[in-house]
Amino acid sequence: MANVLEARGLSREFGGFRAVSNVDFALKEGTIHAVIGPNGAGKSTLFNLLTKFLSPSEGRILHKGEDVTALRPPAMARRGVVRSFQISAVFAGLTVRENIEMALLRTNGIGWSFFSSIARRPAIRRRVDEMISRFSLDEHADTQAGNLSYGRKRVLELATTLALDPDVLLLDEPMAGLGHEDIGRITDLVRESGKGRTILLVEHNMRVVSDLADQITVMVRGEVLAEGSYAEVSSRPDVIAAYTGGQHHG
Amino acid sequence: MITIFGVPSVVLFGQLLLGLINGAFYAMLSLGLAVIFGMMNIVNFAHGALYMMGALGAWILLEYFGIGYWWALVLAPLGVGIFGIVIERTMLRPLYKLDHLYGMLLTFGLSLIIQGVFRDWFGSSGQPYAIPAALSGGTNLGFMFLPTYRAWVIVASLVVCLGTWFVIERTKLGSYLRAATENAPLVQAFGIDVPRMVMLTFGAGVALAALAGVLAAPIYQVNPLMGADVIIVVFAVVVIGGMGSIMGAIVTGFLVGLVEGLTRAFYPQGSSTVVFVMMAIVLLLRPAGLFGSKPEAAGGVHVSLDAPAPAFRTEILLFLGMAALLIIGPAFVYSGFLMKAMLFALFACAFNLIAGYGRLVSFGHAMFLGTAGYVCGHAAKVWGLTPELAILTGTLSATVLGVVTGWLAIRSRGIYFAMVTLALAQMIYFVALQAPFTGGEDGLQNIPRGKLFGLFDLNDHTLLYGFVLVVFLGGFLLIAQVVRSPFGQVLKAIREHEPRAQSLGYSTDHYKLAAFTLSATLAGLAGATKAVVLQLASLTDVHWGMSGEVLLMTFLGGVGTLYGPVAGAFIVIAMQNYLASLGQWVTVIHGAIFVVCVLAFRRGLVGELIAFLGRSRKPATPAKTPQAAPEAG
Ligand SMILES: Nc1ncnc2c1ncn2[C@@H]1O[C@H](COP(=O)(O)OP(=O)(O)OP(=O)(O)O)[C@@H](O)[C@H]1O
Ligand SMILES: [Mg+2]
Repeated sequence: MANVLEARGLSREFGGFRAVSNVDFALKEGTIHAVIGPNGAGKSTLFNLLTKFLSPSEGRILHKGEDVTALRPPAMARRGVVRSFQISAVFAGLTVRENIEMALLRTNGIGWSFFSSIARRPAIRRRVDEMISRFSLDEHADTQAGNLSYGRKRVLELATTLALDPDVLLLDEPMAGLGHEDIGRITDLVRESGKGRTILLVEHNMRVVSDLADQITVMVRGEVLAEGSYAEVSSRPDVIAAYTGGQHHG
Repeated sequence: MITIFGVPSVVLFGQLLLGLINGAFYAMLSLGLAVIFGMMNIVNFAHGALYMMGALGAWILLEYFGIGYWWALVLAPLGVGIFGIVIERTMLRPLYKLDHLYGMLLTFGLSLIIQGVFRDWFGSSGQPYAIPAALSGGTNLGFMFLPTYRAWVIVASLVVCLGTWFVIERTKLGSYLRAATENAPLVQAFGIDVPRMVMLTFGAGVALAALAGVLAAPIYQVNPLMGADVIIVVFAVVVIGGMGSIMGAIVTGFLVGLVEGLTRAFYPQGSSTVVFVMMAIVLLLRPAGLFGSKPEAAGGVHVSLDAPAPAFRTEILLFLGMAALLIIGPAFVYSGFLMKAMLFALFACAFNLIAGYGRLVSFGHAMFLGTAGYVCGHAAKVWGLTPELAILTGTLSATVLGVVTGWLAIRSRGIYFAMVTLALAQMIYFVALQAPFTGGEDGLQNIPRGKLFGLFDLNDHTLLYGFVLVVFLGGFLLIAQVVRSPFGQVLKAIREHEPRAQSLGYSTDHYKLAAFTLSATLAGLAGATKAVVLQLASLTDVHWGMSGEVLLMTFLGGVGTLYGPVAGAFIVIAMQNYLASLGQWVTVIHGAIFVVCVLAFRRGLVGELIAFLGRSRKPATPAKTPQAAPEAG
């Protein structure tokens, strides 16, 4: 399997503090890959680096073998590498329908149109309707996203992201703040979306991780501590120590 | 006589000394701003007015109570500090949770009120304040003459600045302050009364401004507007230095003063613009400022004020209603008033396009209105172009200015964007003041109206009115269309969550620049047309006061609504027409409207109306805005 996304010697400092430190990392095509680690381990920072929302202090990032270290976030997204945010990110003042349209305006190349209207693009409308019903948002189609419940916001975020039809999906704690039922629903949606895509996922919920992930990377204090399948990493004493607050490892 | 690069050394050292003095005031003022901003995330626009209150306070103490300079150094800052604390308690406190822009708007309103009240009281001419006896005279240093008072100002301000720095960075009190800015609840949990600390910090920051004012009184003329232009320079200083740093504010203040002094010695024409040029360069090379570490300030909680768009059919009816009213309007109301109001309405709608839909609140939009007016006037008067070509030329000049200033300004956001646009506009103001073709203080007068397309003589009032009506309705329709278009939707999405829009692949800077340029162009169209209609292009239209007026119109009417800016413009222009006899009180009323709008009325008239209609129509639904998509019908 080819590497879709690769980090080589990636580091990021915040005023002398290394949040991500010399990380080598490879995301293999077609897998669901989870990054786990205690709070402050640098998982979100790694995500921000991979999607170019932060620039690395050192190291390189490759997408399909090409160096993309110098790209800006929108360019990364246009290459098909799309992320979600740890705190749910919807366009609060736009309706659910308009939120999903936001993905399709760009992929249909009419984001720069001052005159055409979505009403006259039946293909877009159909695709939006399809996403809305697939994610059971029918009742809320014309609700402002800011008025949705937290769980629904997360669903909407995922729906918008998937409407882009990305090759690589980076999800930062998609289950955070959700109730039991929502977690089940989103787990299914993620698994289903994984078909034909590559997914990188940060998650604290170990049940979800063991359910979904083919491959796991454990980060601690900005460094990669372990890598392997769920069974492999979960049995390593240094990983357990990192999670239970033990100070030494290795 | 010794000369340095052709400038006599006496002149050079004299200018450097003056630069150092100005720098001392910049440093004290930007220091106060930095302290206040660090603690409460408020850009205190009233800082200049409070500086003026310090100077005027000293003058009043001497004139009416016979209390001299040394007591004034204590009493004026104390009085102004208490005044500041009252403001903090009554007005600023409710704003901390909101977008930081509201603090800036409120304090802008306050500065209008304060300056208006004092102008009504004292007139706008300056009053001299004598140098205290102990500090009069001077020393001949051999290479120059050093007046004692100026030496005192420099030493005193250095002591004040470094003392403030020491308190904040090196003492226990300072460490509490810094901790409270990072994590207020935690500090609160240690048993420290954070709200009281915030209140006292604001009082202290404001007292610092008043102290600078007292120090300034014997140097500059004391007058009610002495703080109005200084504050804009200080904003530029803040952008150059970067907001986060106390020492940065001090060093940058002195540095900017010195650079100004050098420029005055070698290239006097550039002395009033050099600070803004410096700001532009810093924005290009180091957007976070020379000493800043945070490239962007946290935005505060964004409260979406967006009213739901009415259904398409309602929109068409509303538009036809407005057009009909304006067509029959001249039968009832003076047509000159209507034309002026329509052009300002177009200006406000253009402003609203970026401020409301793009949430880029520019404090410098007058530069587009005014520049287009000058260029159009010049084209019609000197080049003899027909009105439509002159207006086109003027409008395009605003487009070009929009591209350049937008390209600089969109590197920053929120309050920084506001300060940067304000400073860039002030630069344009000084250019307009000095450029050979603008007519300086007099402006361009008697601009010929000419014949539209060589056919229709615009000196005919009915034709002129029809022309203005077409321009306004055309501009309005264009904006209405853009807001509904896919581009408009992207713009709103960027306003709601810019990183999310980027993560969907939108190059948000390009969209913002396009919207800014479009807004500048339409503001320019209003300005150019206005020059033809009023046959005048003057400094008023490029002054920061005009940028404030368009803010006022838009916020009063309802930011982010289509008709709000129109309503706001008509109300404000009507107030100016019919309340002109009130003199300075019009400014005070403007300021009061700002304060009321920010505190109680953030949706504006039209926004509140839409919200009210929405509520009464669907009493059962708790959610604000269940609305059919506009095109659904
Ligand atoms: N912009 C920033 N400035 C300074 N420090 C930062 C910044 N972003 C992250 N950090 C620091 O970097 C470290 C890693 O943060 P990061 O958000 O990547 O952790 P995380 O693994 O995602 O944690 P969590 O599970 O809590 O989300 C933390 O100590 C954090 O305080
Ligand atoms: Mg995280």
